[in-house]
Parts: sequence; C-alpha cells; structure tokens
Amino acid sequence: MPRAVILGGARTPFVRAGTAFAELDVLDLAKAATSEALARSEVDPGEVDEVIMGNVARPVAYHNLAREVVLSLSMPARIPAFTVGLACASACVAITSAADHVAGGTADVVVAGGSESLTNIPLTLTPKLARALVAASMAKTLPAKATSLAHVRPADIAPVAPGIRETSTGLTMGESAERMAAINAVPRVEQDRWALRSHQLAAKGWEDGRLAREVGPVYVNSHAVTTDGHIRKDSTLEKLATLSPVFDREHGTVTAGNSSPLTDGAGAVVLASEERARAMGREPLAAIRAYAYTAVDPADQLLIAPAYAIPIALKRAGITLDDVDVFEMHEAFAAQVLSTLKVLEQNGVGRIPEEKLNVMGGSIALGHPFGATGARVVLTLAQEMKRRGARYGLASVCAAGGNGVAIVLERAA
Amino acid sequence: MIIEKPPESVLTTTATRGPSVTFVPPDADGVARIVIDRPDDPVNAVDGALILDLARAVAAARAAHPKGLVVMSGKTDQFMAGADFRQITTSSAADLERASREMQRVMDDLASLPFMTVAAINGPAIGGGLELALACDRRIMADAPHVRVGSTEVRLGILPAAGGTQRLPRLIGLPRALDLILSGRLLGARRALRTGVVDEIVHPAALLRAASEDALKARKAALAGGATAAERAATWLGPARAFALSQARKRVLAETKGLYPAPLRALDAVAVGLAKGMPAGLEAEARAFGELASSATARNVVALTLLGLRQKKAVFDGLGTPRPLRNAGVVGLGFMGSGIAQAAAAAGMLVRGRDRDAAAVAKGLATVRKLTTDAAKKGVFERREAARIAGRVSGGSDLTGFRHADIVVEAVFEDLALKRGVIAELEEVLRPDAVIASNTSALPIGEIARGARHPERVVGMHFFSPVHKMPLIEVIRPEGADGDAVATVVAAANAFGKTPIVVADGPGFYTTRVLSLMIAEAFVMVTEGVAIDAIDHAMTAFGWPVGPLRLADEVGLEVGAHASATVLAARGITAPPVVERLIAEGFKGKGRGGGFYLYADAKRPVNPRVYQLLGVTPRSTGEDIAERLTLTFVNEAARCLDERILRSPAEGDLGAVLGLGFPPFLGGPFRYADALGERMAASLERLAAARGPRFLPTDALRAKQPFYK
Repeated sequence: MPRAVILGGARTPFVRAGTAFAELDVLDLAKAATSEALARSEVDPGEVDEVIMGNVARPVAYHNLAREVVLSLSMPARIPAFTVGLACASACVAITSAADHVAGGTADVVVAGGSESLTNIPLTLTPKLARALVAASMAKTLPAKATSLAHVRPADIAPVAPGIRETSTGLTMGESAERMAAINAVPRVEQDRWALRSHQLAAKGWEDGRLAREVGPVYVNSHAVTTDGHIRKDSTLEKLATLSPVFDREHGTVTAGNSSPLTDGAGAVVLASEERARAMGREPLAAIRAYAYTAVDPADQLLIAPAYAIPIALKRAGITLDDVDVFEMHEAFAAQVLSTLKVLEQNGVGRIPEEKLNVMGGSIALGHPFGATGARVVLTLAQEMKRRGARYGLASVCAAGGNGVAIVLERAA
Repeated sequence: MIIEKPPESVLTTTATRGPSVTFVPPDADGVARIVIDRPDDPVNAVDGALILDLARAVAAARAAHPKGLVVMSGKTDQFMAGADFRQITTSSAADLERASREMQRVMDDLASLPFMTVAAINGPAIGGGLELALACDRRIMADAPHVRVGSTEVRLGILPAAGGTQRLPRLIGLPRALDLILSGRLLGARRALRTGVVDEIVHPAALLRAASEDALKARKAALAGGATAAERAATWLGPARAFALSQARKRVLAETKGLYPAPLRALDAVAVGLAKGMPAGLEAEARAFGELASSATARNVVALTLLGLRQKKAVFDGLGTPRPLRNAGVVGLGFMGSGIAQAAAAAGMLVRGRDRDAAAVAKGLATVRKLTTDAAKKGVFERREAARIAGRVSGGSDLTGFRHADIVVEAVFEDLALKRGVIAELEEVLRPDAVIASNTSALPIGEIARGARHPERVVGMHFFSPVHKMPLIEVIRPEGADGDAVATVVAAANAFGKTPIVVADGPGFYTTRVLSLMIAEAFVMVTEGVAIDAIDHAMTAFGWPVGPLRLADEVGLEVGAHASATVLAARGITAPPVVERLIAEGFKGKGRGGGFYLYADAKRPVNPRVYQLLGVTPRSTGEDIAERLTLTFVNEAARCLDERILRSPAEGDLGAVLGLGFPPFLGGPFRYADALGERMAASLERLAAARGPRFLPTDALRAKQPFYK
C-alpha cells in the first residue's frame, strides 16, 4: 500500500480572537494557510487531487469550506473538496482521511488542514424564533404572517452562540478540566508550571526560528501579521498564581493562565504518495505511519481519550512509547495534559519524557483555533522530526464529546 | 456602415461570397428569425454586402408576417462588431454618407415591422451591432463575461451612424446615452441591464428560447427616454435638455482640448434629433459620419486600431512558440510590480510575489487588491470575480513558491547589479524552461543577462506606469534570446490585455530612446530661454497628453536622467546640464521637492529657480515648438527603424501612441511622416541648418519612400 508522506505545510500566525484577524473570516484564514502550504511545499495547485478542511464553528454563508478554498484560490475547478468536523481534532480527521486516500490509491496529492475564526462565530436564532420566521416567510397573507410570529417571546429573540457545554453532561470544557484535575490530583501549581513551560518554549521556538518555518505571514489590509499573538515571554509562576479560577471560583484550579485561549488561525499540510514525492524530487518532512481514534464517556474524564488512543496507535505502528523521539500533545488545559500523562503511566503505556513533549510549547501559549489545531500539531511535529532526524513522532489531540486521536509519524527516508 | 464603393456597385458584390444574413421562415410557433453570419468574417463586421443582405432579410420578414421575429447571430459567442473598418481608408465623404443613410434606412425598416422583434445578443454587440439591436423592440443579452455592448465609434474618430445617436437617447434617456456615446464605454450584462440598454439578461444557454418566447408574448412599447423623471425631463424637455447637452459639451472640450471633433458631432446629432425629430437627427448623423469618417483623424485612428488588432497575431512573426502560462512570479512588489501581479492574476494566472520583507509584501498585495476592487467598481469585472483575482496573488519575502512559475517578471529597482542578483537567485529555483522577464525602461537586457547560467531565457519586458492603465508592453529581444522565451513573454503581454511590440536590445530600446531624445531637446530649448510652460503648452495643444517638462517631473528627474544617460551617450549627444543642477539643488521632480514646476502650490507654477540656474530670462518664441520637438521624436523613431531596433513602422506607431502618448489622430510617427511626405525631411533639414546636425533627417526619411504602402 502506498505510504502517505507530508511534503510540507504552513499555518497562519495564531492570534487571540478579536485581535489582528478580527476582520478575516474562516475562509480568509483557510485560504492564507492553503496558499502558503502549497507555496512552501513547492506544489503546483494543478497537481492537487483533493482538499480536505477541518472546521468547528461552521460559517452560515457556505456549507463546504474546503470547496470554497479551492474556488477562491482559483485552484483547478476539478478538485473535489470536503469539510470535516471532529471538534478540536477536525484537522486531524482531514489529515488522516487524506493519508487514507493516498494509501488507498484514490488520490495522489492532497491538501489537508483546518481553519477557525473564533472572532466570527456564527450566531443563530433560538429554535422557537427560527421556526416562527420560517413559518412567517411561507405564510401567504399578512395576517397569517403576524399569527406565525405571535408566540415569539422577548426571551426568544436573543441569539444563540454555538454550544460550549457538552450536550450530554451540561458541563463546560473548563468544568470538565476541573474534574480531570480533581480525579487525577493535579495541583494548581503543577498546572501553572506547565503553562509557564508552554510560554517559555514557544518563545524559544520563535527566537531560534523553528516556529517561523511553519508560519506564513497573513496580509491584512496593508500590513503583515507575522507572529503568534498570545505567547507571554514575561510570564512567571507568581503572575500565573495571581489569576482566579474561572470555572470553579471556590475550589477550582483551572485559570485563564493555564488554559488555551480563544484563537483565530488556520493551518494546512500537503500530503502525497511516497512515489509521487520521489517523482517530484521532493524530500518529505515525515510519513504517516499509523493513527487511532477512540472515545470515552464524556461524563467521566471528557478530554482523556488520547491516553487510550495513543496505545492503540502505537500498537498499529508496531512500536512502543519508548521508540518515540518527539511528542506533540494538544494543550486544551494544563490539567488535561498532566492528567493524560498520568493515565498513560497508570495504564502501563509508559512515561512520556517531558523534554520530548511539546518542545516548542503547545496550545496554551500558541493558541487554539479549534478546527486548525490538529494541522498545527502534525505540522510542528513533522518539522521538528525532520530537523532532529527523528525516527518516530507522535501527535495527539483531545476533543469535545470525549473523542481523542493519536497519529504516529515516521521518518520518510 | 463603411463601404469601399458607392452602394449601387457594392450591391453586386454579394455574389462573390455567400449571404451574410439569412431569413428563416416562421417555425411551428410562428417565430421567424434573421440570422447574421458573414461567411468571411469572424465578428460579423458590417460592410456594404451585409447591409444589402440585411435589407433583403427584413423585407422577407415583412412579407412573411410572422407572429414575432428574433434577430440573432449565427456565430458562437459573437453578435455583431461594428463597421468593417478595413474599408474606411479609401471611401469618399459622399460614399460614406450614403452608406450611413443606407444602413439607417434598413434599421428604420426593421424598427417599423408590425410584429414583435427581439435581438438575442449572444456576444459583443459593438457600434453597428448595438444599433441593430436598438432597432429591435426588445433586447435580451446573454449573461457571460465576454458579452458586452457599447458604442465605441467616437474612440475611432467617428460616430454611431445607423441611427444610434437617435435610438439610444430615446431608449435610455439623454444623460446615460450621452455617457455611452461620448465615452465609448462597453457594458457587461449586468450594467447593460441596469442602464436600460437591454431589457433582460439570461444564461447563454437560455438565450434563444427566451428570445423566441418574448417574440411571441412581449408587446411593443413606446420609448420612455429614461428610467427616472429627471432622465425623461433631460430627454424630452427643452431647457433640461439644453442644460444636459451643455454640461456634456463642456466635459468633452475639457477632455479633448478641441482636437477631436467626433464627440462634438455626435452630441450635435443627438441634440438635433431630440429637438427637431428623428429624420433631422438621422440627417445630421449621416452627414457628420461622411465628414468624420473621411477625415485624416478617423483614418489615422482607425488605421492604428487595425494595427493594434493585427498586432495580436503579427507580433509573433519570426518568434518561436509560446509556452503555456499558468503560474507567474513577480519579484519586487512596488507600484509597478503590484500592477504586473494584478494584470497576471486578472489574466487567470496564479501569481507568487516577492519583496524584501513581509511589510513590503503586505503593501504590494494591498495595492493588488485596491487595483482589482477599483476595476470592479468601474465594471471591468464582476465583484466576485474581483475577489477571485485578488485571491490568485500571494507573496513572501523569499522565492518560496516560485519553483512552478512558467514566467517570472522581475520589477526591482533599475540597477544592473541588483537585477543580475535577482536573476542569479531565480536560476537557483526555477525550472529550466521558465522564462525570466526583466522590466526595465533602459538597462540593456544583454547586460542584465550576462553571467546568467541560461541568458537565452532572459527577455526584456518594458511595462509602462501605471500598468493597469497603459496599454503597451515593449518586449526586448536581446541577441541570442530563445525564440520560445520571447514568444512566451509576448503571449504574457497579450494575456495581460496589452499590446506588445518586439524591439531589439539597445540603449533605451525604442520608446525610452525616442522619448529621451525629445525631452533632451526640450531641455535645450529651456537652456535657450524658452519659457517652460510655453514648451509644455505648445505640446499639449499639438495633441500630446502632457508636455515634456512636466513629464520629466512626473517620471522623476533622477530616474529620467538615469534612463536617458545611456541613450544620449550612445547617440553622442550631450544634454544640457540643467537637470543635474536641479537635482543638486534638491529639485528631483514631482513629489520629490519639485522640478521644472513647483508642486507645493496648488497652481503648480513654473520653478523660477530653473531660469536663475541657467541665467536666462524666460521668453516666448516665434519658433514652432511642437514641430521642433515632435520632429525630433519622429526622426529618432525612423533612426530606430534604420538600425533595426524596430521591426516595422507599425510597431513604431503602436509603441509611440500607446506607450508615449504620441497624438493618436496623427496615427503615429511613421504615419505622420507619410502624411507630411517630403515636407518632413525638408523641415528637419531646415532645423538642422538652424540648430545643428542632430536634426539631419535619417536615411529612412531621406529615402522619401512611404513607410506604409
């Protein structure tokens, strides 16, 4: 079976929602990442067979973001494109689907990524108001129209934001993270320390140019946004300690400082069959070796699924945790990262050495545009593996609904 | 409308080719059709034979008396493009006037048919094509980018002469009609609908069905003369009309400086028709057409337009085969580079740009977006298409993404070492068959390519600023250049919607060389004490868009001096040191501290310091300023032909008019030389005797052979 390799990729800078990318919608960001990913992979858009994009807060204006990317970049119109959703692991689904299509021989070159604008989330109407408006628009006479709207109450008029609570448990992400911190006994100071580490390593990643390699500037009006917007170089444990818990004000440990922020951004990688990469004379960053999706009961530990996906993916790859040289783990919350490490160890999968994990920081410092994070994690891992000449790398992302994914990359050559 | 011989004799020419117009009897529903399909012409250009065939078809329709009639084209994506102006150059005023009357009569005949007539506009309906559609009761237009309607006649120095000056104002109202007739603008489907020129737009595939249905169902209606009360007032009420006409006349005079009679004659025909009725209007239209179309102005402009049309293919003579163009690169995203990137994107190419850092790239991409949205606002393309065009351009601070470029245009600062460095960098990443086009106004391409691993693929591509407005690209073919590479650059120029000319490599190529010589002569005149504003005024009065000294300011004195230095050195001419002295004093041109004029003052007065520096008192002169400067230009153009910098007088005329603003009504330096005949050489010899041997006529002018046979 052909092996899928990552030729290259790019992401936009990740910036806090409502800041530098406030005027850009999810398509603008996806376009920027895709166009830059193609340029940095030196792939002619004419060679692309398929485009797959992950996205969570779906825009109302169009239903298939990936296809809009193809059309708005004037890529050949024959390229089919689809948009996938698996909450924060959406871009991972895009990437593993792409890898499957390459492995299955149905596509040779695929762009896979994700995009999110948490500034421009689509607000919707309450079901009652929406039903009334649809009924009114279909009513033929003015009195009938009025009747349709008669039962709408003032409370029905407020717009509804996309769900932040788990539908099945009614808990927010943060509340779930608090639960995980309690169950796994992760103290506040450990969480703050992890957050500090994330910021420090991210700052270092920018200083030594490793992160710059994966980030393409985004040109807004007549200025360029070139760097991530959330990294705090001057953060200290003391400063982090002063922040109040957000989700459980009395006994909580999860603060804005040790959680990932709401972020705008996009990322994309270009995958190809190994054979095609060779024909193009291109040296890939890494190859997709194996992956695993799994899920847990959201009522238990909502974001723990990667601890269970990782051993499955390792088994499918035929390797152990100790064989892995570099790890990239999405940091929704420091509590979730530390819980995952703990559960991995408890379950006998092994201990991930801290110095091999998130070596350029993680989502807490870099930011977390839901639909794009999976692309960022895989791209960062692939770039770092290439730089180090690493044999194996492992990326994992947790997602709402109790989902989780782990992807094993290996040296391409 | 324009025919070679009197209509009577033309009437017999149909036999030599198949009919251009066919009447198709009513179908089962009762709809008949008139199909225009001139067998020997792809755009259905109107000539005498076509007029006659149309007259017969209309008569046949009248006799058949169908329920409705569709007037359509037999060509794919092409309705009818105006007059066949291959014939304009040889007919007399009387013949042309008669041809106009003939066409008017056929249109009247069509308009007076007692059943519903519908024009199905499936492609460009220009000039006479639009007039044909206007003579129908209703117009349906295919909604596709290539389908445009308009009256472009005044741009050719003539006017609509098949009733267009009469029917258009009656249909859409005087203000909008004047705008279309006087500007010669073309309208896409949506704008045509909004303006009222067409009644409906439909998908091309639905066009004929919709036209047939309307021919059966729609009813004839009186022409409203405008959509709003104000428009109708301007059309029908004397005082309102007089005001609208006088405003339009003022605008025309301001724009043409009275050098072009066509818009004014069109205005008169419109005015007469609305004041005294359509027969009087048609009379004025036909008379004006005969006079205008037989004038030197129209003949020169038409000849030039023909040259431009032929050039699209002729330019490839002696070149290789162009390679496909899908991906383009642009190095240097300044104002020029951004304009080039935008032109490439508008041509459908995917463009990657590079500039020194992200901030410069951001500025360049913002310019691309602005140029595109501005064009969209003017109706050049539709809003969504504009977004797609801007989306085709990306950029960065290195050559990432250039590997797949088919062509890269470097538009960095005019510095030999800098340009050589860019080419060396490009050669590291480009495919071996990618073409490198160097945008320079004067640096020899052979010099720029020296040291390149593959110098044969480096071609000169001289853009004119601002790129989105200037219609010319001067392609420079250095010695040893790969013919396919040159052809590829020429194809790119065509794709950008520009007219390319191909010239040989040499100091200043063609355009910069002739311009430098003329401006240098203007500097000499300033040194002699001729008033700066007198020089510029004489030149604009002669028909140049801008005087040489104001142009020098606009180009920038340093840039201009840089460009002309090599040209003048090669020609052994020493320019007076006026520019160096100005630069030394900090006068470097417009936006650069002023130059021959001062720009801080809104009136932009002459810079008195120029005279002080030269120690002269400005004076007016009895000398013919425009002659001395224009003849300098013409003489140098002829020298370029002698030296085979130019391939042909045609390219010399196109380059001079489209790139340098040589007065279009003269047709270009070579056509002007032909018009003056022996007087040209005589004038130059007189100037040489008075001013020096630099004016001696060059061989081509002394030969007294016309440039055009």
